[in-house]
This record gives sequence, C-alpha cells and structure tokens, in this order.
Amino acid sequence: MSVKKKFKGLSDKAVGWLFIGPTVLLLLAINIYPLVYAIKMSFTNFYANKIGREPQFIGLKNYIKVLNKEAIWEKMQVTASFMFWTLLLQAIIGLGLALLLNRKFKGNELLTTLIVLPMMLSPAVVGVFWTYLYNPQVGLFNYVVNFFYDFGSFDMIGSSILAPWSIVIVDTWMWTPFTMLICLAGLRSVPNYLYEAAEVDRASKWQQFIYITLPSVLPFLLLALLFRGIENFKMFDMVVELTSGGPGSATELASINLKREAFEKWKTGYSSAFAVILFVTIFGFGNVYVKVMNKIKER
Amino acid sequence: MDTSRSYLEPSSFSKKIAAAIIIIYTVITLIPISWMVMTSFKNVDSAISYPPEVLFEPSLEGYVNLFTNRSRQSPEYLDSLPPPKNWYEELVRSREMVITGPSKFLGRYSNSMIIGFGSTFASVFLGALAAYAFSRFRVPLKDDLLFFILSTRMFPPIAVAVPIFIMYRKLGLGDTHLGMIILYTVVNLSLAVWLLKGFMDEIPKEYEEAAMIDGYSRLQAFFKVVLPQAMTGIAATAIFCMIFSWNEYAFAVLLTQFNAQTAPPFIPTIIGEGGLDWPAIGAGTTLFLLPVMIFTIILRKHLLRGITFGAVRK
Repeated sequence: MSVKKKFKGLSDKAVGWLFIGPTVLLLLAINIYPLVYAIKMSFTNFYANKIGREPQFIGLKNYIKVLNKEAIWEKMQVTASFMFWTLLLQAIIGLGLALLLNRKFKGNELLTTLIVLPMMLSPAVVGVFWTYLYNPQVGLFNYVVNFFYDFGSFDMIGSSILAPWSIVIVDTWMWTPFTMLICLAGLRSVPNYLYEAAEVDRASKWQQFIYITLPSVLPFLLLALLFRGIENFKMFDMVVELTSGGPGSATELASINLKREAFEKWKTGYSSAFAVILFVTIFGFGNVYVKVMNKIKER
Repeated sequence: MDTSRSYLEPSSFSKKIAAAIIIIYTVITLIPISWMVMTSFKNVDSAISYPPEVLFEPSLEGYVNLFTNRSRQSPEYLDSLPPPKNWYEELVRSREMVITGPSKFLGRYSNSMIIGFGSTFASVFLGALAAYAFSRFRVPLKDDLLFFILSTRMFPPIAVAVPIFIMYRKLGLGDTHLGMIILYTVVNLSLAVWLLKGFMDEIPKEYEEAAMIDGYSRLQAFFKVVLPQAMTGIAATAIFCMIFSWNEYAFAVLLTQFNAQTAPPFIPTIIGEGGLDWPAIGAGTTLFLLPVMIFTIILRKHLLRGITFGAVRK
C-alpha cells in the first residue's frame, strides 16, 4: 500500500502537525498552564491581591484545611442534593416526554423544537428572570401556585427551605429537554424487528417496554445524565443570578463557594487546593461512571 | 379487539393522548419565556401589579429605559424645558424624568457580538484543521489527544479563572476583547474539534484523493474540496460555538469589568428607581434571547449532535 507520496506539496505528516499544532498549543497555554499553575499555588499561601509578597511553600496545609472545614462539607452536600434531585427529575420527565414524542403524531417536530428552547438560553439571564417569576409580591410563579392551592405569601428565594427547590425547579425546567432529546435518539435507534419478533411471541406491551425499550434507552439516558452531572457539579451562573448562594448558604454550591474564596477573599492558595479537589472529584466520579455505563452497554 | 397494538404503530387514541400531554408541557415550559417577553412591553407599574396582568396596554417604556440613562427632575424644571423632540423623550418626561444619555446596553451587546463572532470564527477555523487531521491522518496517541481535548471542558471555569486572571493581568489582556476572544476560542475548541471530526468522518475520503491525483496538494484539497463539502457541519458547529460564547457568564463576570464586558453580566445590573426595572430587564432579556431562539430553530436538525459533542447522531 504505497499509494502515498507522489502528491505535490507538504507531506501528510507535516500537514497533520500543522493542523493539530495550533489547537494543542492553545489548549496548553490557556487550559493546562493555568491548571498546573493552580496546582502549584495550592501548595502555597499565595494571595493574588497582594502582589509584592512572595508566596511561600506550605505543603499540604491548604488541602488539610479544606478537607477539615465543616463548611466545605456543607457546600458539597448542597451540591450533591442539587445534583440528585435535578438528575432524578430530568431523567423521569425527560424519558417520559421522549416516550410520548416517539409516538410520531402530527406536529411533533415543531413541538420538540419549542420544548428545547429553554436549554439554549443563557443560564445567567434565565436566573435573572426567574427572580421575577419567584418574586413573593408580584411573581407569576407564586400567583399560579396560589391559584391552585392557597399557601398565602411565600418566598421561594428568601426562604432557606424553599430556596434549594427554587434552583432545582429552574434547572429542571431548563435542562429536561436535554435528557429528552438524547432519550428520543435512543428510542429511535431501536430496530423495528425487535418489536415485531416480540409481537409474534405475544409479548404484552408492558413486557416489550421492560425487555426491549428500556434496555435500549438506558445507555442513552446514562450518557445524558453524565453530561448533566458534570455540568451541575460545576453549576455557577444560573444559581449566582437566582439566589447568589443564599439565603445564608442554603444554595451555596461548591463553585459559588470557590468563587467567593478565590475572587472575594483572594485566598488563592487555599481556593486552588479546593479547585484541585473538585477537579479530582469530577474526574474520579466521571471515570467510575463511564466504566459502569460501558458495563451496562455491554450487557 | 386490542387497539393498543405495539410500539411500531401506536393506536390513534394513544397518539392523541400523547399529543395532548406534549402540548400541555410545551405550553407550560414556554410560559416563563413568554412572560419575560410580555413584561418587556409593559410599563413599570403594570409589571409590578398583582395579580399579574395578562392583558395590558403595551408600552415601550422598558425598551426606552433599557437604552437610556435618566434622572428625575422637578416639575418646575421640566416646565422650563423646550417641548420633547420625539416620542421616547415624551415618554420619559411623562415620568417626570429627562434622558441624560445612552445606557451601556448597546456597548455590552456589541461586545457580545464582537467576542462571539471573533471566537466562533477562530474556534471553527482551528477546530476544522484539527478535526481534519484527526479524521484522515494516523496521528500518534490520537485517542489520548482527543480525550485530552475533551477533558479541558470538564474544568470548572472558576478553577482556572484565577491563574488566567493573573496571566492576563501580566500580558495586558485583562478586560480586553482580544483576551476574551482567545479565552472563548479555547473553551469552544473541544466542541469544535469533536463535532467537526464527526462531520468530516462522513465525507468520503475518495473525494480529496481524486482531487490530489488530479494534481492538488493536500492543503489545496482540504480547502477546495473538503471544506465546501463540510459546510453544513461547519455552520452547525459555528452556531453552537456562537451560542456558547453568547451565553457565557462565569469568565465574563470574573475577567471583564468595563471595556470588554458582555451582556450576560450586565443585564442583571439594570436597576430602576426603587429596585429592579423589570420591563427594562425584560427588554434586555428579549433582545438577548432572540438571536439564540432563531439559531435554535435553524439548528434543530443538528441539536442532538451538538449537545453531546457528536457522541449521539441521528
């Protein structure tokens, strides 16, 4: 197979490096370098706002401080429960909608496009306009809820019990279409002959659902949840604009806390250690999840 | 007779039920967006009336407030002024205020445009090159490189924001358009490479091989044969990159302040007298969301691919 060569111009190898080089270099400069820098800083007592001071190496002290801090564990819990409820709701509603949309009724493409709109919007701007919908005096959300059952005045954002639900509701509203679209692709990938065979065998509709539909959609649903899990673990913009982590720290997710430590208190060393811990957590969980997902796919 | 036969041919009754539920969901899910658009056409009083007004007298006060800065004046002073020159001045005068100048919104909006287009162009161009190489050549450590490119997307932006902040301060890129364009280009590169690789994989390599036998060099074949073939994919990728840059908030709020600030960090700061000016925020939101909605409709066939980095194709 020596068809290669004999073409004019640069060799394929040279073109290859020429084409990939800039991308890799840029990623190294703007992504990897800052990450390495952050890892380096995490072992020092650096404060980014004190320019003249030379940072000192303090070993693992920052890591020990982060891991021993009760407040950090609280933030992790807030993040975990936010992730649990959003992923659960989005899995159920998203799959449900996908099953309905898969019945190919008239106009379902138009409806799919309309349903998808919320997830394309700017999360920060979404956060802002939901503060209006949630407004305890004039908000539409409160009006509608009270229309169905009269709770009287309530404040979704101001109450520390309701605030965590306020961000779960907005995130679910925004991102359910994501799981829906991916599940829909899963449903459409099921070959028809499976159902035909099942019908020949007189399998009930329920059995067809349990033994054919569900196993085929599951890998897709898991993929969607992986994407959403990573995104919601890093969640920042929508929640900052909606509740800014409050009231108190009821909705202070890990990323929001990180931002406060890094950009308000300027504890660069300490916040870098926290960032590295978060990063390792995402990577660790992500890897385990992908392994489990692949096992399920193989079955 | 059993009407609920199968998944292949749902009965018309079950189709109707499904359609009804989906329509109800669609309506509910669109209420928040429609409400914001409606609010943009209310006046300040009707935006804060309770129960919320569904029917109202449309007003452009929100849009006027969005684009102008105003200050309250005494009736005596207003009387001493020459009559208003145009409808929006008249509207502002009726609130006992005068326009003191344009607001920052237009500047922020055009920053979003400049940074959005600049970074989209750069990431699609670089992404197309890299995607082509990954698609056609035997690159050493290909899978590792591709995974590395994807993994950069997993960093929480805040985690790298401090080092970037310091780096930009040293390089003089802080709060500049160029700095933000470079940053968003890099963030979008992973998406661009992964999506475009999928699109390029679908173009038969016989095309460019034929061109090369006819005397094209590899580079000519890429620019004159492959790129035109990949146009649909490139357009879809560009729209996804544009939407990301357009919507990005974390880096924008942390790394820009005056000069290069984009619209997302600005919109929440629109404040009227005695609190947030909801019609103006509604107007800003509407103008900001409009392009994205149009893009989404254009993109609908490629949505799935875009949101999964090309992992799921229809």
